[in-house]
Amino acid sequence: MSAPAMETARADAGLAIRLEGVSLGYGRHAVLDGLHLDIAPGEVLVIVGPSGSGKSTVLRAIAGLLAPRAGRVLAQGVPVTGPSPGRAMVFQDDALLPWRTVRRNVELPLRIRGVPRRERRAAAESWIARVGLAGCEDRLPRELSGGMRQRVQLARSLAGAPRAVLMDEPFGALDAQTRGEMQRLLLDVLRDTLATVVFVTHDVDEALLLADRVVVLGHRGGHSGGHGGIATILRVPEPRTPDVDRAELRAHIIEEL
Amino acid sequence: MSTPALDATLAPAAAGTPDAPAVRTARTRTAAGLRAWAVRLGSLAIVVALWQWLTTVDARVGLRFDRLPSPAEVAAEFGRQLGTRIYYLDLAQSMIRILTGFALAAVAGIALGVLVARSRWIGDVLLPSVEVVRPIPAIALVPIAILVFPTDEQGIVFITFAAAFFPIMVSTRHAVRALPTLWEDAVRTMGGGRAHVLWNVVLPGTLPGVFGGLSVGMGVAWICVISAEMISGEFGVGYRTWHAYTVVDYPAVLVGMASIGVLGWVTSASVELLGRRLTRWLPRGEGTAR
Repeated sequence: MSAPAMETARADAGLAIRLEGVSLGYGRHAVLDGLHLDIAPGEVLVIVGPSGSGKSTVLRAIAGLLAPRAGRVLAQGVPVTGPSPGRAMVFQDDALLPWRTVRRNVELPLRIRGVPRRERRAAAESWIARVGLAGCEDRLPRELSGGMRQRVQLARSLAGAPRAVLMDEPFGALDAQTRGEMQRLLLDVLRDTLATVVFVTHDVDEALLLADRVVVLGHRGGHSGGHGGIATILRVPEPRTPDVDRAELRAHIIEEL
Repeated sequence: MSTPALDATLAPAAAGTPDAPAVRTARTRTAAGLRAWAVRLGSLAIVVALWQWLTTVDARVGLRFDRLPSPAEVAAEFGRQLGTRIYYLDLAQSMIRILTGFALAAVAGIALGVLVARSRWIGDVLLPSVEVVRPIPAIALVPIAILVFPTDEQGIVFITFAAAFFPIMVSTRHAVRALPTLWEDAVRTMGGGRAHVLWNVVLPGTLPGVFGGLSVGMGVAWICVISAEMISGEFGVGYRTWHAYTVVDYPAVLVGMASIGVLGWVTSASVELLGRRLTRWLPRGEGTAR
């Protein structure tokens, strides 16, 4: 069991997500081996690592899109056997359905769940407003900028009131300024939800800004340290604002990478 | 006064919001539309005028235009036929055949295209027979159609179906395979099952490719319905055209050909228009859409 997880005060409430000796891969290509990770409810866990370290693969396994070759993933103590609306996913880009308007994209998780039309419409509109896109409800994704599309994805993922939100480099394709706005928006929105967040990025500063804890995945085969590819796990002290100096942590992470 | 071309280039900057792609104003769109139509009708008029001239001067320039009826003769024959009941019966008969065959082909082609692309097992079961039958021109199926179908009518509809089915099925299959997995992943993480993925991702996402197949299918269906009518029909534009040929009535042959051309164009344009309406979400600029 990983010690940092035990330190988490919220861990007493039971684990939101647990990875037990999880091995992952595609075809004959092994990506991660024997990964252990505990994630507490309401925690923001950021996974950083170089390309090919398997950070997106871990996220796909937690989402239930990729079955582990060995070990198991537990969500709320129940083994994950497939995707579930309780674990919403935000993808890097272009995961909005291009033929659906902003409103109909955000409504989709509620529609799938069978929420009545009027109710899901109200929920969608309130989330669209919450991410700052009021007035854009009837636009198609192609009529939005990259940053606006990611706002819609965020609204869509939260509209279904998931217990966990899994974010796969959601701001990776955005320019620096838009990325900064999106990070602030995310911090702001997360304050209203109790959702657990697993966030994947290759940007160390983004990780330090958003995370309660940062998991650093090393190069494959390197620094296993008994956690299956995890080089180190760090706690990030509060408050999470961009101006707090975290030079020491940053240096530590970069050294591990 | 500014030219329409200038308006068209200036308008987007003025009309578009920073985040939205530029939208041309209604006025410049109308002007550009009228100009495009003028060009299209003008081109058609030039072809007819050239034809009239070649037949009037009895031109023999390798081709024997002296034997060809002139547009004026054809128009006169067309006027005469418009006054007969049989002309409309023929049109209706051909339309019924093509619409029935095409509708069946669309339903079967899309359904089968999706099935073989989504399920390896179904693909293994069905694709070998489909691939063997596919290279056979639909018109070569006429003897079989005459043999196995109780009435000529069903045979002709079957030929039309066979012609349109393959382009639709193949386009659908490719469109389903080319679909980004990201959309499907997104719907699955919302708790969507197979039916949700099919309804919310596969069917809408493949529409652009499917409509490519429908357009091709409609074209091939016309070729085959007319040929089948010529071989075994009792009514229909194809039958009437062939009949006119056997009695050496060339103006009537040309009326038949022109009728086929117009019907084909109307049905193809309908498919095209429906396709564009259903795929408005595609990232194409208003100005670049043909």
